[in-house]
Amino acid sequence: MPCPCPLSAARRHGRLPGLARPGLGWLLALALWLCAGLAQANGLGGPTVRIHAAQAVVSDSASFPTDKPAPLSDLPDDWSVSRPGSAGPVWYRISFTAPGLRESGELLGVYIEHVCTNLEVYLNGQLLQRGGRMEEPITQNCNHPQLVSLPAALVAPGLNALDIKVVGHPLDSVSSRHRAGGLSALEIGPISVLEPLHAQQTALNVAVPQAVSATLLLMGSFMFVLGWMNRRESHLAYFGALSVGWAIVESRLWLRNLPFDNAVAEFLLCAMLPMLTLACVQFLLRYAQHRSRMLDIALPLQCVVMPATLVLAGPERLYPVASFWYALLALQTLAAAVYYLRTQYRGRTRSFWPMALLLCIATVALFIEYASQKLGVRTLWTHMAQIATPVMMVLVGLRLLQQHGKALQVAEESNAQLEQRIREATAEIERNFTQLAELRVEKVTERERKRIAADLHDDLGAKLLTIVHTSESERISTLAREALEEMRLSVRGLTGKPVQLLDALGDWRAEVVSRLGQAGIEADWSAPADELPQTLSARAFVQTTRILREAVSNVIKHSGATHCSLSCELADGDLQIIVRDNGNGIPMELDGRLDRGHGMASMKHRAKQLQGQCLVESGPGYGTVIRLTLPLTRATEAA
Amino acid sequence: MTNILLLEDLPEIRAWLSSLVMQVFPDAQIAEAARVHDALGLVSAIKFDLALVDLGLPDGSGVDVVAALREHQPETQSVVVTIHDDDEHLFPALQAGAFGYILKEQARELIIEQLQRISQGEPPLSPSIARRVMAYFAAKSKPQPASPSAMPHVSLTERETEVLLRVAKGYTLPEIGQQLSLSRHTIADYVKQIYRKLNVSSRAEAALEAQRMGLFGR
Repeated sequence: MPCPCPLSAARRHGRLPGLARPGLGWLLALALWLCAGLAQANGLGGPTVRIHAAQAVVSDSASFPTDKPAPLSDLPDDWSVSRPGSAGPVWYRISFTAPGLRESGELLGVYIEHVCTNLEVYLNGQLLQRGGRMEEPITQNCNHPQLVSLPAALVAPGLNALDIKVVGHPLDSVSSRHRAGGLSALEIGPISVLEPLHAQQTALNVAVPQAVSATLLLMGSFMFVLGWMNRRESHLAYFGALSVGWAIVESRLWLRNLPFDNAVAEFLLCAMLPMLTLACVQFLLRYAQHRSRMLDIALPLQCVVMPATLVLAGPERLYPVASFWYALLALQTLAAAVYYLRTQYRGRTRSFWPMALLLCIATVALFIEYASQKLGVRTLWTHMAQIATPVMMVLVGLRLLQQHGKALQVAEESNAQLEQRIREATAEIERNFTQLAELRVEKVTERERKRIAADLHDDLGAKLLTIVHTSESERISTLAREALEEMRLSVRGLTGKPVQLLDALGDWRAEVVSRLGQAGIEADWSAPADELPQTLSARAFVQTTRILREAVSNVIKHSGATHCSLSCELADGDLQIIVRDNGNGIPMELDGRLDRGHGMASMKHRAKQLQGQCLVESGPGYGTVIRLTLPLTRATEAA
Repeated sequence: MTNILLLEDLPEIRAWLSSLVMQVFPDAQIAEAARVHDALGLVSAIKFDLALVDLGLPDGSGVDVVAALREHQPETQSVVVTIHDDDEHLFPALQAGAFGYILKEQARELIIEQLQRISQGEPPLSPSIARRVMAYFAAKSKPQPASPSAMPHVSLTERETEVLLRVAKGYTLPEIGQQLSLSRHTIADYVKQIYRKLNVSSRAEAALEAQRMGLFGR
């Protein structure tokens, strides 16, 4: 060491109570010797001096009152201890020498970690810094660390006087010890060294609470709206209210200038707390699916009662009353938390452990906060605790959002399922309705058909029948019979059921064989006897029956045959019927065509109607062969 | 054959039928009726051997007359003479106790032949009616939950079914007699038996239905 270091001596003096003894009139002189060599040796940019004592005097004068006795006071100076009930302002004076400062070119500064509520800093009677308004409403600087640079031009080569005027509030008129008047220890040194300290403390005291406030405000409003819209999730609304409320309370940490006096600000802040408790307790209970009518009344009542007691007690007794309420509200919150955790534990829900952890951390943080209030200590732990609670709230909020999102997803899924089921049901109903309508139409059609059929049979049928049996002319009789058949077909044929081919063959066989038998002609019928899947439309059946009837009539009436063979075959989807007799054959007309009188034309016409053909081969001596070919599929479809 | 009931509403057709009947049964006494009411009056007064009954009549259906004959004169052979050739009209008449049917529009010779057969105890049975009868008894043979004990169980014998099956395929009764080595007479008896069973079964069914209606009507 090239020179004696007064720094260490000063420190030692500061710690010695004997030196601080009043009445000695001893002025603490701080010789700050700054040399570049030492700074380099330390590698820190230079040493700093921590000031643990200062001359202090209560006065509202414009400058440090030299006329009054200024006893030495320990720093940090907590007014609630050193001068209870005092509202200041208090002047502090620190005298120091800083030889060689100008030459070194180093910028000097004083760092004040905590001052409450506001301050003015003078160097050698020159105002260096004012933290804001010094009268009510006083600018709130309790949470804002101060860094004041000491311009080298103002630093005298000899003894320098650093004066700090502090205005504040007595403990009893604030609700938190952190906002009671006082001044922390000072640190004087190069700005370059103090700057990081100041920045770190500002970040911890101001930036973090600001960020937390913003986060809580955003998330809280969001969740409040969510819970408000969806009344079944009212716990979300309460949680949102809690978050927003907390964000407002937290704003007291960084919001410096309020438009009201300290008393009003403190009162409003305290009045917020039962509301926060209400939100918190209701959130926990609703979250645990519990609703208490008594609490629904008691908690809002408390929000009225508490401010009332504060008003009754008056602003000067705020702190004790508020402390009592703090404890009470904390207990309520704790009870709600315990109740919530108990139901979660019993319900064996998955959210028990994470929620238990979060609530425990929040409780511990609250406890630390409470303890620091009681003890008046501000450590890193206090800061951490202050941050921990809102951080836990953010985590709980995220958890709630996750649950809400999941519930939403589930609801959407079940919604989709429901929609699907409704669609299916609708389709089913429509299908049924269509079927029903079709059935109804069928039924009505059927009834109508029957009615028309009955009418036709009774009237037209009877008249035709009379003609059939009373006409002298065979031709008219036949025409009437055909008309009767046609009428029947018209009535039934269109909607008549298709006839199984096997049944049709049975009907034809019965008629043909019995008629030929009666006429004394030997009949030979051959047809497939197996199961036949084919069907004939009602019209095709009747037309074919007529063709066959006509053919057989011809055989009986005109051929003079003694034998007639009929064969029915299925080939390539065609039904082929061959009627062969051993009679005289059909005589030729003059124009070379077969005799029309034998009904050949009508047979051919009918076959044509069924998209088939009827071929007649005949010659004198070798009988007649009638080949009837009907395409089965088309004959089936033909109406 | 002496007494024959002829129920037909159209005078021309009635006259025509009457002449046909006279041709087949020259010494018959023909009682003519134009309405169901008249026919029922005749049924209660005269004992008939044969009844030719039209179905569609001004005051009701000939089925009622068939049923009345079946009830009061079981020996009478009722034959439906109709313009309707569909099962829907014919089957109820057969169930009511008619032995076969004759289509009015058929040629005179054919109707005469059928009447002669009937007089010989050979009721007509067409393939489509045979199919219908088979379907009816097939449906009945299925187990039915509704009080089977109260209903006399009527079913066709194997032989009767065999005859029905062959009729349905278009074989004539003489042909079936040949195929089964039975006399024409025996085959005719089977057919009559089939008609009778159809009637008995239908009556039992109707009685049961009435009973059920009565139970529910209470």
